[in-house]
Amino acid sequence: MASYLLRRVGTSALVLLLASIVVFVGVRALPGDAALALAGEERDPAALEQIREKYGLNDPVPVQYVRYLGNSLQGDLGFSTRTGLDVTDIILERLPVTLELALLSLAVGLLIGIPAGILAALRRGSWVDNASNAFGLLGLSIPNFWLGLVLILLVSVQWGLLPASGYVPFLEDPLGNLQRMLLPAIVLGTGLSAVLMRQMRSAMLETMSADYVRTARSKGLSERSVVLVHALRNSLVTVVTVLGLQLGALISGAVITEQIFVIPGFGKLIVDGVFTRDYPVIQGVALVTVFGYVFVNLLVDLTYSFLNPRIRVSGGAS
Amino acid sequence: MARPTRALCLVVASVALVSACGGGGGGGTSGGTTNTGADDDREAQAGGMLTLALAEDPDALDPTLARTLVGREVFVNMCEKLYDVDEKLELVPQLATELPEVTDEGKTVTITLRDDAVFNDGEKMDAAAVKTSLDRHRELEGSARTGDLAAVESVEVVDPTTVVLRLTEAYAPLTAQLADRAGMVMSPKQLQALGDKFGTDPVCVGPFSFVSRTAGSEIVLEKAPDYYDADQVKADGITYRVITDGNVRQANVKSGDVQIAERIAATDVATLEKDPAVKLIGQDSLGYQGISINIGNVKGIGQPVGEVDTPLGRSPELREAFELSLDRETINQVVFAGKNVPGCTPLPPASPFHDEDVECTERDVEKAKSLIEESGEATPVPVKLTIGTSPENLRLGQVIQSQAKEAGFEVEVASTEFASALDASDAGDFEVFQVGWSGRIDPDGNIYNFLHTGAPLNISGTSDPEIDAMLDEARLVEDEQERAALYTQVLEKEAELRPIIYLYHPVNYLATGPDVVGVEYYADGLPRLKTAGLAQ
Amino acid sequence: MTTAAAPMSQPGPALAVPPPRQRRSRRLVKRFFRRRLSVFGLVVLVLILALALAAPLFGDPGRNDFSAVLQGPSAAHPLGTDDLGRDTLARIAYGARVSMQAGVMATLLAMAVGVPLGLIAGYYRGWADLVISRLTDLLLAFPFLILAVGLAAILGPSLRNVVIALGISALPSFIRVTRGEVLGLREQDYVAGAVADGAGDTRILSRYILPNAISPLLVQATVTIPEAIIGESVLSFLGLGVQPPTPSWGTMLSAAQGFLSQAPLLAVWPGVAIALAALSFNLVGDGLRDTLDPKAER
Repeated sequence: MASYLLRRVGTSALVLLLASIVVFVGVRALPGDAALALAGEERDPAALEQIREKYGLNDPVPVQYVRYLGNSLQGDLGFSTRTGLDVTDIILERLPVTLELALLSLAVGLLIGIPAGILAALRRGSWVDNASNAFGLLGLSIPNFWLGLVLILLVSVQWGLLPASGYVPFLEDPLGNLQRMLLPAIVLGTGLSAVLMRQMRSAMLETMSADYVRTARSKGLSERSVVLVHALRNSLVTVVTVLGLQLGALISGAVITEQIFVIPGFGKLIVDGVFTRDYPVIQGVALVTVFGYVFVNLLVDLTYSFLNPRIRVSGGAS
Repeated sequence: MARPTRALCLVVASVALVSACGGGGGGGTSGGTTNTGADDDREAQAGGMLTLALAEDPDALDPTLARTLVGREVFVNMCEKLYDVDEKLELVPQLATELPEVTDEGKTVTITLRDDAVFNDGEKMDAAAVKTSLDRHRELEGSARTGDLAAVESVEVVDPTTVVLRLTEAYAPLTAQLADRAGMVMSPKQLQALGDKFGTDPVCVGPFSFVSRTAGSEIVLEKAPDYYDADQVKADGITYRVITDGNVRQANVKSGDVQIAERIAATDVATLEKDPAVKLIGQDSLGYQGISINIGNVKGIGQPVGEVDTPLGRSPELREAFELSLDRETINQVVFAGKNVPGCTPLPPASPFHDEDVECTERDVEKAKSLIEESGEATPVPVKLTIGTSPENLRLGQVIQSQAKEAGFEVEVASTEFASALDASDAGDFEVFQVGWSGRIDPDGNIYNFLHTGAPLNISGTSDPEIDAMLDEARLVEDEQERAALYTQVLEKEAELRPIIYLYHPVNYLATGPDVVGVEYYADGLPRLKTAGLAQ
Repeated sequence: MTTAAAPMSQPGPALAVPPPRQRRSRRLVKRFFRRRLSVFGLVVLVLILALALAAPLFGDPGRNDFSAVLQGPSAAHPLGTDDLGRDTLARIAYGARVSMQAGVMATLLAMAVGVPLGLIAGYYRGWADLVISRLTDLLLAFPFLILAVGLAAILGPSLRNVVIALGISALPSFIRVTRGEVLGLREQDYVAGAVADGAGDTRILSRYILPNAISPLLVQATVTIPEAIIGESVLSFLGLGVQPPTPSWGTMLSAAQGFLSQAPLLAVWPGVAIALAALSFNLVGDGLRDTLDPKAER
């Protein structure tokens, strides 16, 4: 177990290191550079040169990278080339926003997906099953950003039910915060609920036909307790592991959802960063995102291997 | 349309009805300088926060390092300058008490300061602070102001309320520069404390002072108690909220979540004008949009010019044909619902230097075709047009594409995101680039850097000794009439050479809630909220 | 925009011997056609393909009429006109070409690169597996869209580059699925038998392993295509997609965004088109999964 743990942590660290190199080289492969994007309309060669000098952009890329790596290992992610603000501060400000959005979307996804999946499995072949299935597929097929636009148009503009966009911190105005986060959470949550519903349904079907459930039934337990105690619990384990992998999808979705609803989260930060060539910001955000992903999946893997020791033997997680 | 009518049209346009000059479509609406927000004569009540929706996230809130128009929209309520403009775009003193005294053949500029101005940290604003600020503008690494103040050789403190600038040579646009960020005075105490991180917590003299900023989201200002004119200030504070999507900005004004929204899309103006929940303020801007053609930029800006091997780059006649194929009125109608002002010079109607006698080329497809034929170029003549990626850019690009096609040009619309396009244009790696300029008060700011040999924004690679000489001279001359005459000559020459085909001058639209009063909105496009508030 | 690669990666169908092909496929077709929703998906898919192929019949998507912009549906323009007075139906039809190309080509690209890598990793194991798996981890660590946006921004906007960006972003799921399949299949008796008979690696991979890994790959493809279709529209929406005047559903949507209050239908059509296209692939994919994977038989 210890050696497996060590190896798993080792590969995660390796992936993180590789990712940081890819991002570092990648942002520099974007046409134009931070200085040019910063100078924008008011650029002149002398000023550009000064900006490049100031941010060390004239040094060879490996030198820049080593310096960056050294600094970031000490927790210093540098300063935004556009706003001059500390990248660590920016990330600390934005992370809770995206986490809140992710949690709310997760709540939406779970609230819709799990019951729908259970019902669909229990009433296999009924209209509930078909409706859930259709919903699940629609959820996978409708583009997030279009759903967002349509919801803004209907709910905010046409009916005036909720504010169109923007963000107020939860601590400042809890109600206002939730009002503004509701639509984006629904937009992000529907896609997730579709995935969860399908997972839940198939996991339920599988466990319901498994031996121990049959045994439980034959022991005369009520159908209700069979479902709740045995089938449901075991299905949830499968679903939870899938959830870890959905983190990436959630962040992907946040990119465009935050753009549409003007939520100052991670997704918006990174897209804005790409367009303004804000190297330190892109690097910082990408690293934190990758770290989050690697870390969550490490946890999932470790939990999984703890529950199911065979995984360790049979050549790592696929 | 007969020519004199057109000239008249531009005049009319700047006062009232733009669409009256267009061909059909769209209801009449104000696209001019009439409405500066002063038409609502209700009094603003004291108190309350105003929220203003910005279309972009400003860059560093440091007057020395800042480079964006949107940043100036924040500075205007937070950082006062030595000079300012009034609604007629005339220069007026702000932190100075009068316009500068220029002596010694323009080489000595004496500025007298107000003695009652206090920085928002309680420190007194004096000549030493002005020197510290101007020197920082001139010398800080990465300063965006070095060009603005290039003519300044030294700054001297004479007494606490008098500063003298010594110039290497006369520089007529200086006062206009001091009415922008180069004239902003920063608190020396805060500069000492924060150094080049001043932008994280800027302290200036202004009606509002900086409270906090969340990057990409909002900037909060509060009423400054120490401000010398504090009893004029009505609102308790301003929240700038960054809302990049135009629909969402509008929706927020309609719902009352935001009191003021900037950069309302021209295509939405007609709808919003009918909406009782919104007041619209239209204002001619100082800028222009046009098409820059690469005629000599082969090795990049600042490098010697050379022969560009593209049809439009080679031949002034083909450039003329290209211009003849375009119809500025139709472009304005189709792309901007008739809400901008078509034009063919870099000087907008709002500028005192705007020449009302200039006649724009009318669309003439037949003449364009015969010019192409005379040039011997095989048709269709290929043109690669680099343009931005916004839906509005794409619409503009496709209208140009469609109009030019009729004359025999095959325009490839290459939509390119801004940073990539700038990279290519500065390197000389482009054919035709649809780009514009947000505009400056002084005409020099709209012309020199684009047309003077080797100037930093001269992406077309224009290098014409006559133009150079006239532009240099116009910087030295103080007399307005003489300067205006020089710029007219420069632009006549430009119109023959056509490195830039100017298309239109944007009109800025500001939407406010029905009870918002006291917003001052001039051609510089900066909403001044000093006296703004909700009506009583 | 959801990655559903995970459930596909469990190794191996339980078939011990490659079954006789003909009878199996006929049975599968029959099983597929029993599922009404999947058949509906297939019909929609065929209709969209027909629309794309027959696009020229709907008129010239580039012909504009500046005097008839933003019109509602009429006899001349069944879906109305756009902001430049062009026929929306014709643009939707031509847009289908772009979307289908983007979806299918990106997926083919991902398969062309991902499947061989997955085969190598799963069959040879060892250091090749190590390198390929870490590469996959690396790509997977970047959320699909962030990776695609970054790549598209580096490459510049064009249909080809969109395909490359989406193809690379979809790469890891194909590597993983293939690798997982191979890991399971190489333990099968008939593969061991072939090895014992002295068959070469190429022969084993092409004769015994690849054919049996086709089903999950096909299913993965039907998951990836709709993702890529939506991905294309997102990239176009952000201004990183195909160049005008080529119509794409994403660029149409992004243009329509400026006219939400005046002509809301303009934003509805391309959105519906994207959703329908993605839905049809998802439905067909669902049907395929159920027919091909005996475990899912219900």
